[in-house]
Amino acid sequence: MSDLQRRRFLIGAGVVGATVALSACTSNAAPGASGANVAAAAGDNAAAGAAVTIGFSAPAADHGWIAAIANNAAAQAKQYPDVTFEAVNPTNDVTQQIAAVQTLINKKVSALVILPNDGSQLTSVGRAAMQAGIPVINLDRVFDTPLAYRTWIGGDNYGMGVSAGTYIGEQLKARGVTNPVIGEIAGIDNLPLTQSRSKGFSDALASFGYKVGPRQAADFTAQGGQRVTANLMQAAPKLDALWNHDDDQGIGVLAAIKQANRSEFFMVGGAGSANAMRDIKADNTVLKATVTYAPTMASSAVSLARLVAQNRGMGDLVEKEVPTSITLASATVTKENVDTYLPLGFES
Amino acid sequence: MSEHQVTTAPAADERSRVEAAGAAPRPSALHRLLDSGAGRNLGLVAVLVILAVVGVGTADTFATASNLLTILTSASIIGVITVGVTFVIIGGGIDLSVGKLMALASVWATTVATQSFGPVVMILCALLVGMGGGLVNGLLIAYGRIVPFIVTLAMLISAQGLAERISGRRSQIVTDPTIGAIATTRLLGIPLLVFVFAAVVAVGWVVLNRTTFGRRTFAIGGNAEAARLAGLDVRRHTVLLYVVSGLCCGIAAIMIASLTTTGSSTHGTLYELDAIAAVIIGGTLLTGGRGTLIGSILGVLVFTTITNLFVLNNLDTDVQNIAKGVIIVIAVLIQIRARRTSP
Amino acid sequence: MLLAMTEPVALLTMRGIVKTFPGVRALDGVDLDVAVGEVHCLLGQNGAGKSTLIKVLGGAHRPDAGSIVLDGAEVSFATPHAADGAGIATIHQELDLVPGLSVAENVVLGHEPARFGFTRPRDAEELARALLRRLGHPEIPPRRELGRLSAAGQQVVGMARALARDARLIVMDEPSAVLDPEEVRNLFRVIRELTAEGVSVVYISHRLEEIRAIGDRVTVLKDGRTVARNLPAATTPTADVIRLMTGRSIEYVFPSRAAPEDSGVVLEVEALSRTGEFADVSFTVRAGEVVGLAGLVGSGRSEILETVFGARRATAGTVRVRGTQLRRGSVPAAVRAGMGLCPEERKSQGLLMGEPVYRNVSLPVLSRFARGGFLRRDAELDAASAVTAQLDVRPADATRGTATLSGGNQQKVVLARWLLRGCDVLLLDEPTRGVDVGARSEIYALVRRLAGQGVAVVLVSSEVPEVLGLADRVLVVREGRVVHTSASDELDEGRVLDLVMEGEARV
Repeated sequence: MSDLQRRRFLIGAGVVGATVALSACTSNAAPGASGANVAAAAGDNAAAGAAVTIGFSAPAADHGWIAAIANNAAAQAKQYPDVTFEAVNPTNDVTQQIAAVQTLINKKVSALVILPNDGSQLTSVGRAAMQAGIPVINLDRVFDTPLAYRTWIGGDNYGMGVSAGTYIGEQLKARGVTNPVIGEIAGIDNLPLTQSRSKGFSDALASFGYKVGPRQAADFTAQGGQRVTANLMQAAPKLDALWNHDDDQGIGVLAAIKQANRSEFFMVGGAGSANAMRDIKADNTVLKATVTYAPTMASSAVSLARLVAQNRGMGDLVEKEVPTSITLASATVTKENVDTYLPLGFES
Repeated sequence: MSEHQVTTAPAADERSRVEAAGAAPRPSALHRLLDSGAGRNLGLVAVLVILAVVGVGTADTFATASNLLTILTSASIIGVITVGVTFVIIGGGIDLSVGKLMALASVWATTVATQSFGPVVMILCALLVGMGGGLVNGLLIAYGRIVPFIVTLAMLISAQGLAERISGRRSQIVTDPTIGAIATTRLLGIPLLVFVFAAVVAVGWVVLNRTTFGRRTFAIGGNAEAARLAGLDVRRHTVLLYVVSGLCCGIAAIMIASLTTTGSSTHGTLYELDAIAAVIIGGTLLTGGRGTLIGSILGVLVFTTITNLFVLNNLDTDVQNIAKGVIIVIAVLIQIRARRTSP
Repeated sequence: MLLAMTEPVALLTMRGIVKTFPGVRALDGVDLDVAVGEVHCLLGQNGAGKSTLIKVLGGAHRPDAGSIVLDGAEVSFATPHAADGAGIATIHQELDLVPGLSVAENVVLGHEPARFGFTRPRDAEELARALLRRLGHPEIPPRRELGRLSAAGQQVVGMARALARDARLIVMDEPSAVLDPEEVRNLFRVIRELTAEGVSVVYISHRLEEIRAIGDRVTVLKDGRTVARNLPAATTPTADVIRLMTGRSIEYVFPSRAAPEDSGVVLEVEALSRTGEFADVSFTVRAGEVVGLAGLVGSGRSEILETVFGARRATAGTVRVRGTQLRRGSVPAAVRAGMGLCPEERKSQGLLMGEPVYRNVSLPVLSRFARGGFLRRDAELDAASAVTAQLDVRPADATRGTATLSGGNQQKVVLARWLLRGCDVLLLDEPTRGVDVGARSEIYALVRRLAGQGVAVVLVSSEVPEVLGLADRVLVVREGRVVHTSASDELDEGRVLDLVMEGEARV
């Protein structure tokens, strides 16, 4: 009996020990900066205005880019002493996001910044806010009607594809490659943004007389990127260039390329994560460039929301009010200019 | 017009009938082959052969060694998880938590803190987290008397949440060179991951078919009440089954961390469905008590070969999904037919 | 020789029915005549083909050869639905009712009264109530969930369902197996009323005395053939019937008992209770002694047995084996102490039907054939085969699927398990239910032999002669309490029935 008890004690002690050891392993002090990007207000806009409350709703982060959006918005709001920032719980469920925005409307916030899970499905709640007299800054995924937002700010998906295609085209032209094999690894295929990116990419390549070869869609995750790329490496024994839409899934893409021992081509990323930029800077992988789709847009959206709520225009523009639409340009980050962009890169 | 007839069957006739029914003929080599795991899954073997023929016909790179190894490598992670799920399902349970348990283990093993202790601690951490999750599943099911579907669904959700909490919803990049090297190392030209996969399958097969543990698993899945009344400790065995499944998740977590060079809460999404589908296609009864590990593995190989074929032929995702669904149904149909005709 | 006063009008005539399954010729030329308004009994050992025959009759199987003539017209039932339409209803041994539905919903299942696609539950309840009243069970509420009724109650609902279809021929497959004597009497009353109305009944049972009481004519099957048809049920000598069924003359006898010696007590049960089931049960069993528990279904006898074994957790009291107290509610503890149980429900509680025989036998002692957890299959198979051969389990091949065995042989497999394990205490719950006459004698002999070797046996049986014939001492259980204990030779069947039922009489 005592033997059994001793065994039980030892097992118990082992379990407790393992639990303590494991919980020590959850600490995750990230290397380097937090990655939030803020802009200091300049000129007239720096002056404090009327106190305003800015409501914020975005999808739950399952991806470095979305995480950066939330971080950036909160950090930017902190820059302004006259702004109270009120973020609702992020969610990936459309109905929950509608309900969350509704509560912000009921609280009568001064302005709303909304990155919808789905532009079409949240259009009605955007209109409801506008009708309630609350200006909406629509972030990135656009509502169906301008009646649902005061100002839209977002990235240029088509332009992103164009930037990537142009970079690849120029590089291959310079090397005098004819009939190159150009691969493409997209994000989730049924999203409009993926379709725009691919359209821009093939349009840009066409201007060089090139076309897209093997093309597969992953799912914005490292796992999906690895899986698709491992197979794509088999489909295309020789590649000249590869564009991967998303730097988060790019971690998996690069892992698969490394596992397949391939290096005869160069690769361009997308979105502009800090991790990708560090790889570009180090110049020891096939990743030679990335085209940005910067989550800094969230910082800008909060700035715009403050100006709109305070009835002010943008400093350097003549107009007395904020424009209704701002499309960000997609920059091409290469080894040459990476130091400029590295501070804007988001952590995966 | 009431009849009264008596015909007494001759005794010799009775004797011969009994013997004809009683003395089964010695199983021939063919019978033994058909009775083996692969034999009972002739349908799946046929599907694989068809897929291979299509592959050779449509893509010249299909039949290369490096492509076949790519298929095996892709199959290795879901394959390891499927081994665990096969045990649970044969034992009469279900485990929906496997995908996210793997994600949690991959995240836990790749935090900055864990990585600072080096590869051994990372591996132990992943295994412990996986087995711990399985232990909680098993205890709640066996002693808490909650149905496995609910317990493991709850575990799926909370493992996902905990993985997000720990990782801060970011992909944690594996900086440890040893872990990173697992996916790039080759022995005799074959990726290490394939060896790990093969080893897990081999151990799983032996345990399932050659040990008391495996036999008890079949017994409990076949008739838990009869097993209990025969004196088996059904509850303890049930706990062990989920721990086995969790252990497989832990092993898979290290593999995926190495393969993608990240630990992430997004790993393993919907793996539970792929694994369960592979098990069922492989001929294991969803109600337990009957099944083969070989069938499950063939099911996994069918899935990964399909994906490979599609990418080689540069098909669109929507076409892939349609074809995948159709092929699953065809595979099961062939499987049923093949089993019906084989004795 | 002729029994019928008036010439019976033939309702159903089956001739030369053959049905083959892969590897088995289940029916090999079966003839059956059923007259209008008669109770026709079908006799045969397990595996003689009774079940297959009624499945052919019910449209579940299509015969390979032979003719079925119903009301003078040749018929062929492609589906159970077709048989149903022709007025043939079957009440199966495993009732094909839905436990989760109400009584009324079960009665009208498949024929729900409906208008414009909406079911009419009121009509269904009315119909069910009327039928239950006609069956003499007005106390069964039509809205009660079926699963909450007793086995007997469910049987009645099954009959109501058959009547709801205006069945002209009702096939009853061992209807009395789950009924106690009072319920059987009630069943017989209903059957007589039905036959008086011109309904015919095909009645299957193992109990000859029932057949004498209710049957008009008897057809005997053996090995898939009709060996005798249309014998007068009341007057054919038992010896003849047994000879026809077995092909040899077996005396339905119990082995003689050696006078119980003054051996040590092996099993001590003290003040055992389980709330709501039984209370304060105490008894002891000495080595080599067979103790019988007699009682009606629902008296708590099976519950007592399962609680002694730890399959149910006692709320009070103790169980000791050779002086060692067992942990409550732990079957492994009971097995370790040397106890074995052959449970009441062979299929659902006793056997792994999908596994071969030898794996069922070796289950409690697997580790005996393992080295470091690895099974040595040959050693396992050899050991299991030796025991099944000793018990004459047929077919003799221990690698055969358990599901292919007859009821008697399946029971032997469960016994073989504990024989291999080696038990000090053997608990037998209805060891001969659904077991044919030949196998019964063998099981009786085995029980006595084990007792002779010093095993303490506790026996539960619904059949009083079995308890009296096999046990040294008898405990009578009524309403969860032991009401009488005495040596079996101080009792006779009538006295036991009195003791068993006294409680009912008071209600």
